[in-house]
Amino acid sequence: MIKKILKSFKLIKSGDWFVIFMFGILTVTSAKFLWGLPQGKYLEIYKNNEILATYSLNQELKKQIHGPKGVTEIIIDKGKVRFSSAPCPKKYCIHQGWINKANQIIVCIPNKISISIVGSKKKYDSINY
Amino acid sequence: MTLSTIKITQRDHEIAKLSAIAVALSLIEFFFPSPIPGVKPGIANIIILYTIIRFDLKMAIWVSLIRVFVTSILLGSFLSPTFFLSLCGALFSLFSLIILKNLNHKYFSLVSLSLIASLAHILGQFFVVRIWIIPHDGIFYLLPIFISSAFIFGLVNALVTNKLLQLNPKK
Amino acid sequence: MYLNNLLIFFLLASLLGCGESKTYHQKDFVFGTIIDIKIYGESEINATKVSTEIFKEFHRLHKLLHPWEKSVITDINNAISQKKSIAINNDEVISILTDAQNLEAITQSLFNPSIGKLIKLWGFHSNEYNQEVIPNPDTLKDLVSSKPSMKSIKIVKKVLESSNHNNQIDLGGYAKGYALDQSKKILKKNNIKNALINIGGNILAFGKHGEREWIVGIQNPRKPNAIATVSLKPGWTIGTSGDYQRFIIINNQRYPHLINPKTGYPENKTQSATILIPPSKNSGVLSDVFSKPLFIAKSENKINIARLLNIEDFLIIMNDDSIFISESLNNKINWEEDLDKKNIEIF
Repeated sequence: MIKKILKSFKLIKSGDWFVIFMFGILTVTSAKFLWGLPQGKYLEIYKNNEILATYSLNQELKKQIHGPKGVTEIIIDKGKVRFSSAPCPKKYCIHQGWINKANQIIVCIPNKISISIVGSKKKYDSINY
Repeated sequence: MTLSTIKITQRDHEIAKLSAIAVALSLIEFFFPSPIPGVKPGIANIIILYTIIRFDLKMAIWVSLIRVFVTSILLGSFLSPTFFLSLCGALFSLFSLIILKNLNHKYFSLVSLSLIASLAHILGQFFVVRIWIIPHDGIFYLLPIFISSAFIFGLVNALVTNKLLQLNPKK
Repeated sequence: MYLNNLLIFFLLASLLGCGESKTYHQKDFVFGTIIDIKIYGESEINATKVSTEIFKEFHRLHKLLHPWEKSVITDINNAISQKKSIAINNDEVISILTDAQNLEAITQSLFNPSIGKLIKLWGFHSNEYNQEVIPNPDTLKDLVSSKPSMKSIKIVKKVLESSNHNNQIDLGGYAKGYALDQSKKILKKNNIKNALINIGGNILAFGKHGEREWIVGIQNPRKPNAIATVSLKPGWTIGTSGDYQRFIIINNQRYPHLINPKTGYPENKTQSATILIPPSKNSGVLSDVFSKPLFIAKSENKINIARLLNIEDFLIIMNDDSIFISESLNNKINWEEDLDKKNIEIF
């Protein structure tokens, strides 16, 4: 088995090694660039006290969530997210605008929906808001 | 007035034979699971590679296109998104072979050819996916995985093709 | 063969280790805000059981002490407004009210849990704030001059009587802290060593997060991220009064839910007041109650109040973005952003 593999190495010429090397670089950079941006961040949507869904922030997505007061809509846009429509009267959640960093959260209290960003590096365990 | 007859040449036999094998390989590949359904590493490339080395480019193009069309008809996916995936992958792959087939044999073997054809095949499929099938950037998360698979299958394809070439020496 | 077994053993052992070092996390909505419980180093079953028990207790307190929905407190308030006395068959409520009385006295009435009427006038006795206009200034003036205070409430032999019928008890600045203290009991009873409990910004650091202390972020009053982080040693609590969660906007002016009992108007020159309280039996209550006087007091008085209440760690952010911070907290704090440090005054 090993002999067979070694034999096949004879096939590979210097130019091939160059191609193989470039392939390796391509794989690593694409992984670093695509997976490292934005730091593997995900959005967690909470309805009342449970996680409803987790989404990657690295996409464009409109999501509607049904809460006790009505339909809340959030928009994920390439690394950031915001509330775009909510049934609460004061719309504080919408006024918060875009968030994009780990541990940031926006809450719609009347409709009991909150969104929070989870990242790979957490700066603190909980926030005193 | 004489009816012109279609003369079936030895060449046609070869094309048919190779296409059949390529189709068979495509059918087998259909059953491989994949993170994005329909995006496959392309083991039929073995045949394309073999054809382009043993015979010529024109034949490889025939075999490649026949493979795409026949496979999709057999699978019932003609003109479906999967068909376009397959077609685009094959076209990108062929295109890269056209450009590279004259690579200097001193420095490059079929390994490079295979790797690049494999990469082009996957990128061609990704192109269709991104433009049409899943039009948001979330799928780019999967690109590194597919690039790695293109690498592995590129190597495997090269080895298998090499073996085939050895077993079928030019007469 | 031997090697195989060893490998399996190590795999299993590492799995066991994995289970213990996970942080279990659960959220709920009580007291009109998000509650966040993190438990470290316990099995999922245990952690679930204990956090369920804690949430249950919080819901109980929420119902017991609610300022405007039917509760023991609203019953008392009804009696007071009808100038009647009322029997309280609940020792817990009696001790809470007595405690609140003492705390009002200590804070020179800057924490005043009997101004429910004022709070209602400003529209804060509701789950949604619909107040569009400033309440009638005369009404406010009259209320203020009637001097609602826990001082005029007497509880004798479990019967409560108030000599001021304008008193309306609202424990909004007390209940969350009290709940925090109650949760300590539940954690201890269940032998939980490490937990972080966050009740809408009042946080208790119970034990540690494994090898390191719990780290807490301090909310930036105007942005959805932390302005600073601080490590809480075991048993410490942190509390913030801020103008960014519960407020109304009238004529482009922000009016937070924190009302100055002496003027009848919400304090709107302060953005937030954060305090750290060292471990004690009622560190939860103190983290809630003591941030109010710091928020409401006039800016020239704030530091004096902090000293009066023996608060060693405080951080106050004013409307003009200037920051007052105590030396002790300044040594502990980690600023998150590149703040303009010129704006920071250390006391």
